[in-house]
Amino acid sequence: MLHVLTLLLAALLAFPLAAEAQKPIKVGMPMPLSGPPALFGDPASKGAQMFVDEINAKGGVLGRKIELLVRDSKADANEAVRVARELILKENVDFLVGTLTSAEGPAVSVVAKENKNVFIAPIPKTDQLTAADKLHPYVFRVAATTTMEGRSAAEIVAKWPVTKIATVSFDYAYGQDVTKAFIEHLKKIKPSVEIVDQQWPKLGEQDYNPFINAQMAKKPEAIFSSIWGGFFVTYSKQAKALGVFDAIKYNFIGVGEAATPETTKSMGADYPVGIWGNSYDAFYWGETAAHRDYTARLSKYLKDEYPSSWAVQGYIGMQFLAEAIKKAGSTDSDKVAKALLGLTVETPVGPLTIREKDHQANRGQLYGKTVKDPKYPFAIMKPVTYVDPSRFMD
Amino acid sequence: MPDASFVFAQSLSGLTAAMFLFLIASGLSLIFGVLRVLNFAHGTFYMLGAYLAYQFMLWLGPGPGLFWIAALGAALGIALLGGVVERVLFRHLYGKEELYQLLFTYALGLILSDAAKIVWGTQQKSVSRPPELAGSFMLFGTTIPQYNLFIIVLGPSIALAFWFVLQRTRAGRFVRAAALDRETLGALGVNVSALYMGVFMLASFLGGLGGALISPMRATTPGMDTEVIVEAFVVVVIGGLGSLWGTFLGAVVYGQVLSFGILFFPRFSIFAVFALMAAVLIIRPWGLLGRPLR
Amino acid sequence: MKLRGLAGIAVFVAALLVPAFGSRFYTFLANDVIIWALFATSLNVLVGYTGLVSFGHAAYFGVGAYVTGILMKKLALPFFLAWPAAGVFGAACALVFGFFCVRLTRIYFAMLTLAFAQIVWAICFKWNELTGGEQGMPEIPYPDFGWLERVGASVPLLSWRTAEYFYFLTVVLVAASLWALHRVVHSPFGRMLTTIRENAERAEFIGVNVRRYELAAFVLAGAFAGLAGGLFGIFNRGVFPDFAYWTKSSEVLIMTLLGGMGTFLGPSIGALVLILLNQQIVSYTQYWPLVLGTVLVVLLFGFPGGIAGAVGALSGRLFRRVRRA
Repeated sequence: MLHVLTLLLAALLAFPLAAEAQKPIKVGMPMPLSGPPALFGDPASKGAQMFVDEINAKGGVLGRKIELLVRDSKADANEAVRVARELILKENVDFLVGTLTSAEGPAVSVVAKENKNVFIAPIPKTDQLTAADKLHPYVFRVAATTTMEGRSAAEIVAKWPVTKIATVSFDYAYGQDVTKAFIEHLKKIKPSVEIVDQQWPKLGEQDYNPFINAQMAKKPEAIFSSIWGGFFVTYSKQAKALGVFDAIKYNFIGVGEAATPETTKSMGADYPVGIWGNSYDAFYWGETAAHRDYTARLSKYLKDEYPSSWAVQGYIGMQFLAEAIKKAGSTDSDKVAKALLGLTVETPVGPLTIREKDHQANRGQLYGKTVKDPKYPFAIMKPVTYVDPSRFMD
Repeated sequence: MPDASFVFAQSLSGLTAAMFLFLIASGLSLIFGVLRVLNFAHGTFYMLGAYLAYQFMLWLGPGPGLFWIAALGAALGIALLGGVVERVLFRHLYGKEELYQLLFTYALGLILSDAAKIVWGTQQKSVSRPPELAGSFMLFGTTIPQYNLFIIVLGPSIALAFWFVLQRTRAGRFVRAAALDRETLGALGVNVSALYMGVFMLASFLGGLGGALISPMRATTPGMDTEVIVEAFVVVVIGGLGSLWGTFLGAVVYGQVLSFGILFFPRFSIFAVFALMAAVLIIRPWGLLGRPLR
Repeated sequence: MKLRGLAGIAVFVAALLVPAFGSRFYTFLANDVIIWALFATSLNVLVGYTGLVSFGHAAYFGVGAYVTGILMKKLALPFFLAWPAAGVFGAACALVFGFFCVRLTRIYFAMLTLAFAQIVWAICFKWNELTGGEQGMPEIPYPDFGWLERVGASVPLLSWRTAEYFYFLTVVLVAASLWALHRVVHSPFGRMLTTIRENAERAEFIGVNVRRYELAAFVLAGAFAGLAGGLFGIFNRGVFPDFAYWTKSSEVLIMTLLGGMGTFLGPSIGALVLILLNQQIVSYTQYWPLVLGTVLVVLLFGFPGGIAGAVGALSGRLFRRVRRA
């Protein structure tokens, strides 16, 4: 009896609140908003929101406004799946644009496949997301892949006067894949290199000292790192204290966007100026008028003189979605999915195309050596080059 | 065959990690030894110590000597927090079932960690090393950051200070007595409630200090409380719940297992630590230096 | 007694009707609650009935989930083999771990359960080839409902989606499991467990092999936690290492305590309330831990018997008044 009473009480708790309006096009965005990954995830979500605000101001898409629902996925695959399913089942989102880590991406891709929702991944890089055995009609990626990134880095390292290379990466899909791509390509273009050491801290490691010591004991001449986000801040602080960068004469390349303005800004004087890194965007790049215009708008939107480089990925993800809906003339998943194949969009970093073969966009990145520039209170890449990934895509 | 300077470097980094853990775990061990409670909120005190240190650094700005003020201020702030918690809430749970006390500390941890999120946001914060100890020097062929050495020296110093207070002062004798038999101590006219509050505040001070001192070396970020609490549990269990030197030894062992673990079991050091904890509990449950508990 | 049985059947029927009257989301929520109810009830065999507080119950949940996931995904075994295997492996792990755990008491018992659970987690986390490592195993196949779907497609009232067929299956399996557990805890064996909880020393004096009973309770709890895990892996559309992490253990322990460890259905109620509360709160604010912590503190100082205890006390007072009038 008591149990029935309590159950009734609990059922009252579950009573739904105001019904959702059907008119806006709802897009769900699982993105890490807390902890070290938030350094990248938070601006990415803001970039997406900026695009949504801009396009809604112009009347939306197909006469309907876009509504973006951002949820904290905590950079955890399980949480991302939970959040994605809630977005689909409870909030009735039509599309998913989001996820950041290479564990979240493939996990949410499964959810998208089963629920037949178009899923555009703006950041996860692991090749596994669009590999032949995992590909399905509803998953698309506008980020670079580990193949592209690893190979681009290898081409840069091949030009250095070094032969003894060491790698340090997180022990999960992204770290493993990008390191593998780097090593394979490097060995191909410079057979004389020798991989003297590889370290695999767990994703989220806070104490890198044992790994750094073990690595430096093998006396590498250069280091390839794919440690990213706030974790790179921690790693490089500890590495700097142990004299790593001096020992290898700054022959260090940090993929996973170690040279983004976010990172150099947040580290200030602690940043190991002189290392190489990459970035999806840089407010100081300004190569095209379109980029300068976007940067100005972003700076105003974020109220930041030196706006984030991660907003662009959220922005581009939403751009592709909006263009595809327009091209398809509907929000039907199958039609939009079809419209995305081969679609070219003029993004702030230039024209990008999603190719039909594996739903992958030819998204390259900016690479450069960091230097201290008197114009800015933090290090920047100079010269900075956009590396076109087309020849790295199989 | 790993060379001597590498072994030296690796054991030093293990010691550094160990001394941080000792600072935190000592507070946990103290509370368990005297109050017989496993304080889940201790990890959150540690985290709040780091955030407070960050906040004080923001207000004070960079400059010589300011970091130490910030760290001390943070530790004192956490001690105050611990005192309030003990006086207002925790006191009412003495004598209730152990499970309720545990659950309360867990709930407290939840509340405080979210409070930290509300105040400081969800992005990670970074604190720089104090300029006095920002350098490093060479020893036996390895680079040793000065700050790491400071921590390695600080750990045993605090352990010794502790030992001195417990063994050689009146207050220390009362604390040891309270750990053995609180009723008799109360009957002898000692203000046991004040003693408990003092112990709780001291433990909180240590936890907060650990957090403040670790912030230049790591990231101050949400989630650091749950990461550290399990590590602290492992340390006190290995060493022996309630034993000060046990906690010290446990921390040292833990640090070395992690450090050298990545050599012998390159991707399995987290596994090794819990296996060690299980082994100790199976073979010698009261830990390396603990006394068999009633 | 009969009233309870009727209430149980009413709840069972109500659960089956959720997909008919609720949205896909309500089916999703109900599925979640029902599996956690089984998980929490299995823990209560240890905590409420035997008096053993375990901090590592998620180990068996995780083992069950991985076993079912691996068998169904990698070895393509059918569900009716893969799911009981989850219970078997859960029981086996519980047997091994429990053997060492029951030799300890109180805080040491709890710490060892935690250590074993973290070892299980570490294995799931690191053994990339078998468990998928950090990424886990997304895309666990649903049980084969082929024949049911073909039949359902032709009968208008019975055509459901795969997720909903799985929900019905969950309801039936969990109801059966709960019924089995109910029989066990109300049997002489179960009463012996309660005796041990009350006073283990006295039980020893009257010749009871306390350790053997405790181990049996441990294994029973582990088996049903494994079964719950096996269901959850499929429901979640993926198995991940944090199924075995200590925070999962703390969630299920809180459910058990919240609902009231003194009654059989207490933990199930705790699961229901906690999940629904979580859902509601999360739509308003991101500070769910703050709310949960506050609720727990209020409960601890006000209603130590959990929700079931509180309602019991309240309705006891109500009904006493009614009867007197």
